[in-house]
Amino acid sequence: MSAKKKPWVKSAFSDLNLIQKASPDPLPVKRTRSATVAAAAGSKSERKIVKPTTDEVVDLTDNGEDGGDTAPVVSDNWMESFAPSVSDELAVHPKKIADVRNWLQHCEAMRKKYPAQICLLTGPAGCGKTAAVRVLTKELGYALQEWINPVDCEEINALGDQPEGSYVGSQLQAFKSFLLRASRYKSLLAAHNKRLLLVEDFPNALLKDAASTFEDLLDEYVNYGKSPLIFIVADSKSRMLNISYKLFTDQLKTKLRIEHISFNAIASTIMQKSMKRFATLMQQQEQHKALYKAPTQNVLDSIVVCAQGDIRNALINLHFGSLRGAPSMATKQLTNITSAAGKGRKRKATSTLKSIGRDESITMMHALGRVFNPKYTEDKDKDKQLLHSPETLAEAFCTEPRNFVNFIHANYLPHFQDISHVNAAVDDIGLSDMLLQEYRDDSLALVGLTVAVRGCMVANVAPISGWMPVRGPKRPTIQPPLSGPEQRLMGVAYAGISKRLYASEFSSFVKTIASKRN
Amino acid sequence: MALWVDKYRPRELSKLDYHKDQAENLRNLCKQSDFPHLMFYGPSGAGKKTRIMCLLREMYGAGVERLRNETMNFTTPSNRKIEVMTVGSNYHLEVNPSDAGMYDRTVVIDLIKQVAQTQQIDINGQREFKVIVISEGDELTKDAQHALRRTMEKYVATCRIILSVNSTSRIIPAIRSRCLGIRVPAPSESDMAAVLQNTCKREGLVLPPELAKRVVDKSERNMRRALLMLEASKVQQYPFTAQQEIVELDWQVYLRETATQIVSEQTPAKLEKIRDRLYELLSQGVPPNLIFRGLVEQLVNNCDMSIKAKTLEFATQYEHRMQNGAKHIFHLEAFVAQFMNIYKKFLAELVMTDDF
Repeated sequence: MSAKKKPWVKSAFSDLNLIQKASPDPLPVKRTRSATVAAAAGSKSERKIVKPTTDEVVDLTDNGEDGGDTAPVVSDNWMESFAPSVSDELAVHPKKIADVRNWLQHCEAMRKKYPAQICLLTGPAGCGKTAAVRVLTKELGYALQEWINPVDCEEINALGDQPEGSYVGSQLQAFKSFLLRASRYKSLLAAHNKRLLLVEDFPNALLKDAASTFEDLLDEYVNYGKSPLIFIVADSKSRMLNISYKLFTDQLKTKLRIEHISFNAIASTIMQKSMKRFATLMQQQEQHKALYKAPTQNVLDSIVVCAQGDIRNALINLHFGSLRGAPSMATKQLTNITSAAGKGRKRKATSTLKSIGRDESITMMHALGRVFNPKYTEDKDKDKQLLHSPETLAEAFCTEPRNFVNFIHANYLPHFQDISHVNAAVDDIGLSDMLLQEYRDDSLALVGLTVAVRGCMVANVAPISGWMPVRGPKRPTIQPPLSGPEQRLMGVAYAGISKRLYASEFSSFVKTIASKRN
Repeated sequence: MALWVDKYRPRELSKLDYHKDQAENLRNLCKQSDFPHLMFYGPSGAGKKTRIMCLLREMYGAGVERLRNETMNFTTPSNRKIEVMTVGSNYHLEVNPSDAGMYDRTVVIDLIKQVAQTQQIDINGQREFKVIVISEGDELTKDAQHALRRTMEKYVATCRIILSVNSTSRIIPAIRSRCLGIRVPAPSESDMAAVLQNTCKREGLVLPPELAKRVVDKSERNMRRALLMLEASKVQQYPFTAQQEIVELDWQVYLRETATQIVSEQTPAKLEKIRDRLYELLSQGVPPNLIFRGLVEQLVNNCDMSIKAKTLEFATQYEHRMQNGAKHIFHLEAFVAQFMNIYKKFLAELVMTDDF
């Protein structure tokens, strides 16, 4: 925080500090809890721990074994204090770390000749991409410079021909100048001589239809940049939002020799190891010990299961679960796995967190299996009901309804026994295509998807089960260009004929004529 | 080395082979100094484009025949770049905006602006306007058609538009009323036979009248198709014999085989094979509505009277959905599945009645 403050900014913290200093007995001031926390955070030296009654804490469970504890106040950034500082502490698979290190060393070797190397790191959210980069650059002595989208790109108007003297400049322009300048000139304050640029936050302008602009930008960077550049992109399920797919085309990657390292979600064994490390760290240091209690093994395991390879999420859950004063987290047994344990194979009963944690996500293949092999509840008293409701399945894919319907269409046929069942299903798939086409109403997308899913499940009266490979939806390929003789036959007039007309009227005759004439 | 269709295309209104009265009318139209926007409509292969080119020649002289290809670039509002191939001369420009798909609106507006903003430099050129020929105007999206109607009026001083469409029903009324409609009916069978004979005479070939008649029958009164068919058949076998095999459109042959397969077996596995065949046709670029139509025709020919009505009912339903939807294959497949279902039921009933 800068020492000099603008007069019109009234700091909430300093104000409260004054009050606290003025009146050690804080009776006259009616304080809310959040204000106390803020005050405590603002003045570390005189941290006051207030004791809220347990009723005020969000009660997640009914077992009150630690209800009597005091709620601690978190002083510093939890994520930062547990961030890995050496590469051995990273939860990433060692091979991937080696890949990144090799690339950095390669950059080092090429520093004189081709300083502007580019690397693309991809992987699911929370798999330690950024952490790996931070740790490794520190080890190899690079100064990391990161691009963060400015809230507004205000530029001083040098010409002075606009009334207020400033206007909003293009974010893309700012990004470009960042790339070129940050790689060339080092900060006056920085001691490092080696710089490395990091882009994790893509300028908004690049997110839609800007592959060519981006290509130009990188072209320029390769020519004029002076330091390595790393892009970090989190995977996303939807193709529309997938930056690594849209911006980093294969063509671009080969052209500019972009190193693409893709991380996987963190394996549960590695995750467990890191969880143990966090747990011991919590108990070792005095400042932490005051705040956290040791989480039970059950909670630790559940956190790992629940995080699905996302270490950041696991860490947040751990933090929340082991705060002193907070009740321990409720866990629930995963029913389907325990039931499997009964049949021969011994499996440890796994449990997951009950109320918090990531959404239970379901992979496409898994969901397709549920659609093609519909199961019904075997409750005799009630009406026959689908075990997995089509609505839930549809909702899991509502960000990419079109894609899911295409997958259903590509794969549903082998699961049907009779054509009389097929026609009901395909009728609904067709209907859903019509609904999905209606772009004016957003909610129809989900309806369309549900129609396709439900139609397929209900129509399949006698499903054929068994393993069948899932095929991706086909896209009709683009027609090949005309061969030389064909082109000569058509002459100038070809341009006046639409592709459609050519394919339906000309193509087959022209092929015959061209093949026999020579 | 050009195709017969292009080589022997009549270049002047007076040399047209059929619809001679209409040719006379068109010539009168050119004699006047002013000239409205035109819309030529009629079935495919009736000679719309031929008449348009003759008309242009009548107006501008032989200069319109010096054709050149030009690739024009357009940028859509969403910053997508589109390339459109055009054919043109100093006096006219022919374009097929439907190739730009959903971006045809930009193409139409920008193209007309570009053309219309330059005045004709050559004062001696008889007309002070240029002509833009838009082929397959009925494939234009509604958006593009609405854009067209404004630009048509705005730049009427410097440019005229000639639309070539198959059916006026897909043209919005606003455009229909701004154009002078000229119907070009399909040539009669005797006209076509005469053209084929004439062409062969100019090539120095002998064409048996029986073969000419068969080609005309196969071509469904489509002059272009008839000429291409004849030329392809000539390449296959010459001297001609009356009973020789005529080269047909390969996708029609393929579609016929597909229909036979549908009738032969009705199982999900077969449906999957049929789907692959349909994909094959789509990837060849054959328009889905033609596939649909061909398929229905073949199936209706192949099935019993009692299920024809039902088949057609399903056909209309799924064709409508196909027009509204995006994935043509879904609806083609749905139709095939429905047909398979009713056909299978029909066969089962047949067996039952035979038993008793």
